[in-house]
Amino acid sequence: MDNLEEDSSKVTALYPDPPPFWNAFTPENIARFDALRQDFADKHGLDADADTDTIVRIPDVPDDLIYLQPPAEPIDSKWRLFSEPQTLDEELQSLETAGILRLGPTSETDRDGRHVDRAFELKRLAKSMLLNFLELVGVMSQDPSHGLEKVQDLKTLFLNFHHILNEYRPHQAREQLIQLMQDQLDSKRAETAAIRGVVDKAKRALEGLGSMEMSPVEPIGASASSSTRSSGAAAAANGVLAPHTLNGAAHDAKDEVPYWDRESEGWAMVDTDFE
Amino acid sequence: MGDMLTQLQDSVDQLADRFIACFYYLERHHDLETFGPNDRIPDLKSEQPKEVDSLSPEVFQAGQLELARDLIVQEQQIEYIISNLPGLENSERDQEQLIKELEEELKTAEAQRLEAVKEKDEVLLKLDQVLRGIRRN
Repeated sequence: MDNLEEDSSKVTALYPDPPPFWNAFTPENIARFDALRQDFADKHGLDADADTDTIVRIPDVPDDLIYLQPPAEPIDSKWRLFSEPQTLDEELQSLETAGILRLGPTSETDRDGRHVDRAFELKRLAKSMLLNFLELVGVMSQDPSHGLEKVQDLKTLFLNFHHILNEYRPHQAREQLIQLMQDQLDSKRAETAAIRGVVDKAKRALEGLGSMEMSPVEPIGASASSSTRSSGAAAAANGVLAPHTLNGAAHDAKDEVPYWDRESEGWAMVDTDFE
Repeated sequence: MGDMLTQLQDSVDQLADRFIACFYYLERHHDLETFGPNDRIPDLKSEQPKEVDSLSPEVFQAGQLELARDLIVQEQQIEYIISNLPGLENSERDQEQLIKELEEELKTAEAQRLEAVKEKDEVLLKLDQVLRGIRRN
């Protein structure tokens, strides 16, 4: 019963079985192939690590590992996929080879040509489409049997339009690249300017500090208490106006002396650690 | 900038769709007329599916007008997109030149940026030293 079900599912399967070579990709085989490649690289003096991305073809791969090596590039740069011929360099099929009447001038070959003409051509085609449609409606209202010719004309117009449009695609891609690079450049410059601005600010601040540091250097601890004392004195000088702050400052200064002593001891320890 | 070309392509395809829509409308909603005095419009039975769903002349004409307007708007839109295609004034050689220049400028900008970063690090170090000096004093 189970068998039967399996069989029937095989018949009705939506997709065919995978190609048989998937069985070859076992961990052991992959390891063996890697070893082989390493050997080959060592023998020929290639840097294996650098070449893992580039394709190194090893000749004489054992038969059971043959599927682990990707096939070589097609020699004549042509191959078939789903019974459609493919080529390595994709080229836009020209209108003539597709059997379509070309309405505009050929303009693919000139590298210096500007694309304003092409835009003009596209506009002309767009207008022609509208006009031809109007004619088609007119013809159909008079004699539907003559409509086919006009439909053909419209078809040619549309195909020409699409062709010119597709010719323009590489141009647009380059244009987008330019845009991208410009954006990158702008952001880089903005970043540099921002860094410079901050650096300048920091430098000015440092200069300011430097002029303040001109005051004579006092021994550790004494300087801290002297500075608080001097600020207290300054507060005292101003304190005529605000006796409350004078008291507060004096109080703070008393508290701060042991605090600064402790602090400077701590920093001295940190400094010896660094040295 | 976006992908103007794809937008243009879609617009053109839409124009083609509108052409067909116009025909469908005309075919479906036109009025029935006789060509000669001997013709007569057959009186279809109501259960038969109608080939033509005639509209009153005013409605029919209004519909035609709307469709025609749509066509013209669509065509104008196409022309507008064409005028706004990126880099119409550049040739391929111009583009290559521009890309090379930008590459150079990017390199110098990157060098300047690295220089600025270096300077920033130096200043940071100096600031750090000064701050530590202040703490110590």
